[in-house]
Amino acid sequence: MAVPAEAGITLLILSYTLKKTLEVINELKKEGLIKDYAIGGAIGALRWTQPFFTEDLDIFIILKKETKEKELITLSPVYEYLKKSGYIWKGHWIIVEGVPVDIFPVDELEKKAVEDAEKTEYEGTKTKVIKPEYLIALFLRASRDKDLRKIEMILNQTNVDREKLNEILNKYGLTEKFTNFRKRYYEK
Amino acid sequence: MKNNQKIVIGDRILTKKELFEEEEFRKERAKLSFEEKIRQLIELQKLASSWGNKKDVIVWKVS
Repeated sequence: MAVPAEAGITLLILSYTLKKTLEVINELKKEGLIKDYAIGGAIGALRWTQPFFTEDLDIFIILKKETKEKELITLSPVYEYLKKSGYIWKGHWIIVEGVPVDIFPVDELEKKAVEDAEKTEYEGTKTKVIKPEYLIALFLRASRDKDLRKIEMILNQTNVDREKLNEILNKYGLTEKFTNFRKRYYEK
Repeated sequence: MKNNQKIVIGDRILTKKELFEEEEFRKERAKLSFEEKIRQLIELQKLASSWGNKKDVIVWKVS
C-alpha cells in the first residue's frame, strides 16, 4: 500500500499476506460458514515463543452445525467457498493469499481451546490464537518429536498457568503423558 | 568454590551462566510483536529455500 507523505515522498508500507489470509478466514465466519476459529499449530506456538521455522498456518474451526461423534464432518461448504474465491490446493494445503493453510474441524479438546483462545490483532485484523496451556495439551496429544520440542519452547519461553494446564491435562487424560514428557526432557 | 560445571548442547559447550543468559535472550525474543515474529519467520523461509536446499518451501509473500 502506497501512502503519500507530507513532504511529497511516497512511503511504501509493506503488508504481509498473512493479514489478507486472516481476512479471508474472518470472511468464513461473517458468511456463516463457521461459528468460530483460532490459530493453532506452529504459528499458534510462535505467538508465545521466539520465532522459528514453519511453512503453514493451522486453523481450528468450529462449524456452525454441531456434528455428533460418529457423524461425518463435512468441510465442503468451507472449501467450496475458498475454491470459488480462487484459492487453490497444494497437497493437503489450501493456499490462501500465498499462505498454505490447514483447516481442522475441532474435537472436544480443540473446541475448548478455540473458545478460550486469546483475542488479538495482526496488523489491525482481528483474530484468535490458542493459549499456551491448550497448545501444550494439543501438542502433547500429538506427541511427534516436533510437537514435543514446541512444548519445551512454550514452557521455557512464556508464562504458563500451571494450575490451568494441570486442569486441562487432567480433564483430557494427558497427565501421565506430561509426566513422561518432563522425565524425557528435563531429567536426562 | 566457583562452580565451573559445563553443559553440552549438541556441539556447543556452555557454562551455566551462558546457558541462563541464552534462555533469557530467548524469553526476550518471545516477547516480540506477532507482526515482527512473522517478519522473521518469512526471513527463515527465504533462508530455508535458498540455503537449506529446500526448494519446495513456500515463502509467504509480501504484498
